Amino acid sequence: MTAPASTPALPRLLPESWRVNLPAFEGPLDLLLHLAKINEVEITDIPVAKICDQFHEYLILMEELDLDVAGEYIYEAALLIQLKSKMLLPRQRDAAGVVIEEDPRAELVLRLLEYRRIKEAAQSLAEVDRLRVGVWSRGKGRWDDSEQEERELEELSLFDLLSAMRGVLDRYDREHPDPLLLPAESFPVRGQVDRLLQVLDAGSPFDLLEDLRSRSCRAEAISAFLAVLELARLRLVRIHQTSTGDIVLYRTTRDLATEDLESLEA
Amino acid sequence: MSTTEDIEAALEAVLFVAGEPAPQERLLSLFEPDDRETALLALARLRERYSPSPGGGLVIEEVAGGLRIVTVPEYHPYLKKYFESAGGNKLSMAAIETLAIVAYRQPVTAPEISELRAKQSQAVLKNLLERRLLRISGRREVVGRPFLYSTTRDFLMHFGLRDLADLPPLEEFEETFGGEAPGIVAPAARPGEHESQLMPESA
Repeated sequence: MTAPASTPALPRLLPESWRVNLPAFEGPLDLLLHLAKINEVEITDIPVAKICDQFHEYLILMEELDLDVAGEYIYEAALLIQLKSKMLLPRQRDAAGVVIEEDPRAELVLRLLEYRRIKEAAQSLAEVDRLRVGVWSRGKGRWDDSEQEERELEELSLFDLLSAMRGVLDRYDREHPDPLLLPAESFPVRGQVDRLLQVLDAGSPFDLLEDLRSRSCRAEAISAFLAVLELARLRLVRIHQTSTGDIVLYRTTRDLATEDLESLEA
Repeated sequence: MSTTEDIEAALEAVLFVAGEPAPQERLLSLFEPDDRETALLALARLRERYSPSPGGGLVIEEVAGGLRIVTVPEYHPYLKKYFESAGGNKLSMAAIETLAIVAYRQPVTAPEISELRAKQSQAVLKNLLERRLLRISGRREVVGRPFLYSTTRDFLMHFGLRDLADLPPLEEFEETFGGEAPGIVAPAARPGEHESQLMPESA
């Protein structure tokens, strides 16, 4: 950018209509399409020097208005300057004087045309989106799809894990309502860590909830759950939720280090 | 042999509870093979009965490879009020742009999407993954092994599309800039073919 940020010449360079449209530009390509439109030029035959200058004026204006000029605008501006200089070079001609070198603008033209098509398609989708907001269906009753889509793995927060655990505990309380007197048994987390790693190292990822439910008692389930949290903290397992709500453990490639064991003992 | 009325009523019952789009074949397989013709007729009658009409709050729409009963958009305000909810949120323009790129170019990587839009797309992609409109369908076997993104069944349902072929061809958008865009036919008001556009502007 050559002009200083506070040049008084700005109002002359920038017609009123530009200011109105400012927030409408969602990115550098939108700005380029807009410039092509107000200059009434075809995208396939862009006057690079002119558009390049106007693009820069726009960037200056953005700074004037204290808008953050996003990196992608600067990048696009640099591409335009490069293109502008390329346009100044004579192009290769064959013996008959016919230009044989590709138009340096070709790549930009293709990008703009592609982007314009996508924009149009997006407009059409937006229209449908607007209409479809009003369409309601019944809640998510889901029959078991035999040709199941691939598992969709999603982020799982600690709260999701905790509420899954609460579900397991609630179920225990329902299924074992009698206050049984249990012999004093202890289930060290360390023991559960070893057990889980053994299962996981044997190969396949496995269903966490199923494993927790098949523990012998509440205390062991809690211990196993704590062990899973420890394993996640030590990055020894990854935990994902499938689209059907199952929580699945995967073994990472990381090995169990001695200091990990120490941190467990502590 | 069951009567057409019986089968029509049975289909209505199943569709009412199913919620998820029910594939036509799965519906037809509920009846004796001998009744197949009758079942087809019954299904056609049922769809006729559930086509947009005055006094009807429900329609049967064909989305994501199946049939399901949904509400007519006119009654959105009442549903919102009853459930004290805002209903679904409209998608941002950035989100729709990204969806459009994935829909037409899938499977596609984040860098490819960013390149096409000439801006960063990570945040938008994360949001669309959370809304289950996109899914990670694999990795491109190039340096860095970037994730590949594809659209989901929820995407089809959200936009009322039967399948991806239901999207208008991208080439149609070629010379329409500034003019009338070829619209996707408003889906809930589609009795079967791409013909009607009965959606009210106020929806």
